[in-house]
Amino acid sequence: MVLRECAEKSAAFQKLKNAYTHREEAAKAAKAAGKKVVGTLGCDVPEELILAAGMQPYPIYAVPGGPMDMADKYLEYAFDPMVRAQFERIVDGSLNDFCDAVVVSNSTDVLIRIYLYLKELKRVETDVNFPPVYFIDWLFTRRRMHQERNRLTISLFKEEMEKLAGRVITDEEIDAAAVVCNRTRELLRKIDAFRTAREMKLTGTEMLVIIGGGFYMDREAYNKVLEELLEELPAWPAVTGKRLFYTGSVQTDTGLYARVEAAGAVIVGEDHDWGSRYFERDYDREMPPVRALVDRYMLREFSSKKAFVSQRVEALDRETDAAGAEGVLFYFHIYEEAASWDYPSQKESLEGRGIDTLHFAKMHWPQTQEESDAFSAGLKTLIEGKEA
Amino acid sequence: MAEEKSKSKVVKKLKATAAIGAYQKEWFAGLAERVKNGEDFAYLNADVPMEIFRAMDIPFVVNQWWAAICGAKRMTAKYYGLLNQAGYRDDLCSYCATALAESLDPDDHAIGSDGKPLGPWGGLPHPTIAITRLTCDCQSKIFELFAKNHGASFYAMENTQPRKAPLNWYEIVEDNWEDLYDTDRLDAAVEELKELIRFLEEKTGRMFDENKLIEVMNLINEQEAWYKKTRDLIAETSPVPVTVVDTINAVMQAQWQRGTRFAADHARSLYEEIKALADAGEAAVPNEKYRLMWIGRGIWHDFGFYQRFEQKYGAVFMWSMYLAMGADSYIRNHVEEDPLRALAARYIGMEDFLHMPPWNSSWFLQQARQNRIDGVVYMVPENCMQAVEGSYFIKKTLEDAGIPVLEFKADPVDARKWNAQSMTALVEEFIENRVMKGEK
Repeated sequence: MVLRECAEKSAAFQKLKNAYTHREEAAKAAKAAGKKVVGTLGCDVPEELILAAGMQPYPIYAVPGGPMDMADKYLEYAFDPMVRAQFERIVDGSLNDFCDAVVVSNSTDVLIRIYLYLKELKRVETDVNFPPVYFIDWLFTRRRMHQERNRLTISLFKEEMEKLAGRVITDEEIDAAAVVCNRTRELLRKIDAFRTAREMKLTGTEMLVIIGGGFYMDREAYNKVLEELLEELPAWPAVTGKRLFYTGSVQTDTGLYARVEAAGAVIVGEDHDWGSRYFERDYDREMPPVRALVDRYMLREFSSKKAFVSQRVEALDRETDAAGAEGVLFYFHIYEEAASWDYPSQKESLEGRGIDTLHFAKMHWPQTQEESDAFSAGLKTLIEGKEA
Repeated sequence: MAEEKSKSKVVKKLKATAAIGAYQKEWFAGLAERVKNGEDFAYLNADVPMEIFRAMDIPFVVNQWWAAICGAKRMTAKYYGLLNQAGYRDDLCSYCATALAESLDPDDHAIGSDGKPLGPWGGLPHPTIAITRLTCDCQSKIFELFAKNHGASFYAMENTQPRKAPLNWYEIVEDNWEDLYDTDRLDAAVEELKELIRFLEEKTGRMFDENKLIEVMNLINEQEAWYKKTRDLIAETSPVPVTVVDTINAVMQAQWQRGTRFAADHARSLYEEIKALADAGEAAVPNEKYRLMWIGRGIWHDFGFYQRFEQKYGAVFMWSMYLAMGADSYIRNHVEEDPLRALAARYIGMEDFLHMPPWNSSWFLQQARQNRIDGVVYMVPENCMQAVEGSYFIKKTLEDAGIPVLEFKADPVDARKWNAQSMTALVEEFIENRVMKGEK
């Protein structure tokens, strides 16, 4: 991870970096303290409910380069590599000593399959041991009846979390968790403003650590660290480089961003859920809890998986405008196909507005040497082309 | 692989297969005429409840049937070239994106120098409505782009996942669907239907008549009941009177006409024709030794593939989902009580029955047993997440029951990726090394 001296010297940033790097520490500490830990898969698991139940959310992340024996055995080749690696960690027992449950949201079609497979594994291969699995079946089309259906879905999920917690989750507890989560989002938006400002004081790489670190911390402690960091940021030196917006496969480590930024660009925004999509849209405390949860998760900016092409074109136009992007990097893993159908229309719209684009699809994770070389060459053209 | 080299030499024997082929051409010409005269025309994904359109007399074409026609007409190489030129990838979603690719073809409705139409069957008339269900991440995007290219209205129907999944769905679905599905899931599906009807009434100015829907649903029950008799007849007859080459086309095409008197009568004629063959002791493959099951979509561009193992090994592909799905998954009795709910109980399950373990695996096993299957050839489609269906569990379920399974990857539509020689060798090896050695 390439970080600037100001970040390395910041005590607040170092706390975030530590959590980002040692992702099991907080979950294991919570478990040791008697809390239940809930692994999450998919970006639409309402963390407010898990926190309100006194449990610790733990986003299940993919580890590159590890063995994939279980994934190879149970999954077809058409599962994208990151999801394969996440599946591997669930079924190989890696989570068993600290996770009490796994919650899967249907944020992409592939995660629906993962849920069905996990459920079937529980039924037919009882020697494969992993935590109990829950599922959230959101509807993403934004019609009235689908909002209504989502309210039922979240009510059922709340009941399941109550059973898991062994107690009722009160409205007051959900509200208290929402206060914490809203505060996190507010702080992250303020921090992100230093990245999107005309004079940029944060890099995309640093922002990934700031956001992702919080996934693996106690949330109130996280907010305190963000407050400390916010105090420091005005004094951080400016960064320069071509302003790029990133769209595509989720980046759960800093490797790709660091390469882009080392090549002379700054990633000023992204639409994946380990980036700026995470802190969009607050929980509206004026609404009853279930309605507020549906409102927050259903009506966020469109994801690249669960939206129509026209919605995605408009979303990317809005996002690049907000971030002041000069170029857009499209980057999709192999077998992560849906957004490939958006790309030609998005490219046309962006280029019509004078924004450069660079597109990589079917990328392995990690990249092959050939892909890595092509990526470097493409970046050079994107970054230097504009300057020329 | 050059397409010419893999040209199918398929032998079809049934009059019903020829009859439905001829009917489809006549029906399509009539549909094109209606569209030309200004009627609304809907293009539907296969999992959209077409019964509503039938009841409202809105002409429609089903995406997967049309993709099969385009595949059989060997248009895919041209179409995927057009996709590529337009900036899209040409290796994605071949089954679902064929019509989108075709919509980019400026010659789709043109006539060639030989006086023949350049597009398949004269090309797809311009739809005014395009509807899909959100059963995979790509489909809504493809349909929206397709609608835009045709200037059609795009409409999407949501999809939900089951919380309960009784293994014996095929035994209870016809009468006891309330036990099969979560109640709230059925409620939501009924609401989806009402919303769809509202949209269609507004768009087309046609009125939805529930009595007409009951009539359509009962005709479908009649048609599918004939398929059940046909499937049962084939299952209990050795040697089989017909193979999948006869039944797939006869059933698949007529299935898209379901809800009409023609389709119900056609299903009866199919049964009667096969029954007569069985009664006369006619064998599709006189030296039948091994009964094979085909799991997957049809290889539309090389139908002769299924017959390449008959003479050499006496191995006959006698089961495919096309007839068996008709037999087991469409019938909904006592429709009159609540026709929309009965329809909801049909359309929400189709994806689950086929693509969700354990519903698909338990049914495949039950079918393998009923049909006394000696080996299963299982095509996992390339580039399609929707058809990713728990192949491990399907294979395990069948092999644990002693039925050998050959699993391989292929594309049902895109002839560019098909190598007839190597695929044939693969199945031959399977027959020789596993089926003939009597693993079962």
